[in-house]
Amino acid sequence: MIRVEHLTKYYGDYPAVRDVSFEVSKGQIVGFLGPNGAGKSTTMRILAGFNTATSGKAWIDGIDIFWKPIEARRKIGYLPENCPLYTEMRVEEYLNFRGGLKGLNRKTTRQRSDYVMERCWLKEVRRQLIGTLSKGFRQRVGLADALLAAPPVLILDEPTAGLDPAQIRETRKLIRELGEQHTILLSTHILPEVEMTCDWLIIIHQGQVATEGSLDSIRRQSGHKNLEEVFVQLTEAL
Amino acid sequence: MMRSMFSLIRREFAAYFQSPIAYVVLAVFLLVTGHLFALTLNQLTESGPRGVEFPMMILLGDERFWLVFLFIPPLLTMRLLAEERGSGTLEMLMTAPIRDWEVVLAKYIACYAFYIVLWLPTLLYLPILLNLQAVWDWHAWTLFSGMMVGGLGLLVILFFVALPLGMSFFNMFLMLLIGGTLYGVGCWMHYHKDAAHLVELTAKIDPFPILTSYIGVLLAGGMFLALGMFVSSLVRSQMVAALISLILSLIFIVTGFWRPEMDTASLTYRILLYFSVPLHFSKDFTRGLLDSREILFYLSTTIFFLFMTIRSLESRRWR
Repeated sequence: MIRVEHLTKYYGDYPAVRDVSFEVSKGQIVGFLGPNGAGKSTTMRILAGFNTATSGKAWIDGIDIFWKPIEARRKIGYLPENCPLYTEMRVEEYLNFRGGLKGLNRKTTRQRSDYVMERCWLKEVRRQLIGTLSKGFRQRVGLADALLAAPPVLILDEPTAGLDPAQIRETRKLIRELGEQHTILLSTHILPEVEMTCDWLIIIHQGQVATEGSLDSIRRQSGHKNLEEVFVQLTEAL
Repeated sequence: MMRSMFSLIRREFAAYFQSPIAYVVLAVFLLVTGHLFALTLNQLTESGPRGVEFPMMILLGDERFWLVFLFIPPLLTMRLLAEERGSGTLEMLMTAPIRDWEVVLAKYIACYAFYIVLWLPTLLYLPILLNLQAVWDWHAWTLFSGMMVGGLGLLVILFFVALPLGMSFFNMFLMLLIGGTLYGVGCWMHYHKDAAHLVELTAKIDPFPILTSYIGVLLAGGMFLALGMFVSSLVRSQMVAALISLILSLIFIVTGFWRPEMDTASLTYRILLYFSVPLHFSKDFTRGLLDSREILFYLSTTIFFLFMTIRSLESRRWR
């Protein structure tokens, strides 16, 4: 579903992402791990079509993101870091606007926004201004927006950042459920999170892929340590 | 593609009314034009040798008007892209399946639409500025003329109410069909069967200077809005965007202010004449003149700044 080959991104002289290659097959939930500034967000932004890579290629569902950006973006539901939203709009209004922006017609937009509001527990705040919502609810609005056009691929940049434990648990459950229909690439710092939700791990450090594999295989490689130790070891060793 | 642009235009236009700025701008603008209209009215009703030849000259050729107008486009454009950049919502917007130029065009159209809304109330001054007299012929109201007026009304409702509110495409198509047919058939039958005027309008003051003034207003406004939008695409803060576009607009406005010591045959003056907007208005537009140099200047500057905005929005990709 997602294929990335030799992706490199320079900000001026600074290489944020260096020669990253990986592949995500259909139906997988892939955890994208790494310390702050490792290039997770940059990679995700490139995949979502906000930035362009300096070199390298990437495909979403077989569509080249550089040559066919619009078609590729239709396949992606993207939740940016910190989940920026128009604070002066109401939840339902926002979702309707986003539906139109994503090219859905009026009827489909209404159906889908009803469905995603149900899915992300937003029914009770549908008439509320986004600016007055708590962080947890805003995150859900962002997630609802990502789901709106029923894209096959979800790219979620730190979907649980800034949530309280109960909300993290709810979101985790939701992501697990969504994994049945969507291919998901999610980044996070929270390691237990990864252990509970992800089928596959990609650990990235200083813009390069440090290791990749299923949770068990990564544990096995490093001699049955827990993920935290593996993470620290990998990000210090390089 | 059309749908996403349309959705964005609607949101951007609605966003004006969700912030207090729109109302402040509207109120101040009306206050100033209203005051200038009162001054024009004084001149028009003056007895003796005083008075005014072109009423629009007092409204739009006046320095007071331009001093206030200077602030309006920057206030309308400052939030367009700077706010999105500042709050990070640009990332949400640009990862939707919409092209960069579509975003720029949609935002420009929304802001231009608000600019037109700003000017709409001034149309109420026109009957007086034209010294308009209407003679209604009530016998001309037959079935056919009724059909014509009704169809026209339906079309007006379609474009100004249904389209902005966003009716379903099927209903809008139906409205277009019914309205169009009614209007077309009504016009045809009214022309061939009744052949009487519903209303006879007589303007006692030449209407063309007013038409050209409004053309000028639309052209010059388009230029200032494009400029403001370009500046807004460069910075993160709305305040900075407003200030910079204000300063850039000054070049086009302050150079046109009255300076009695200036020799009108000098090279400086002739150069100033190319780009100082108040001069265009006091010399040409408000006197019923359309100078192709000025029209070309406004259009090309508008297109230039729109192009630059698209480029500037694109620059996030390689920076």
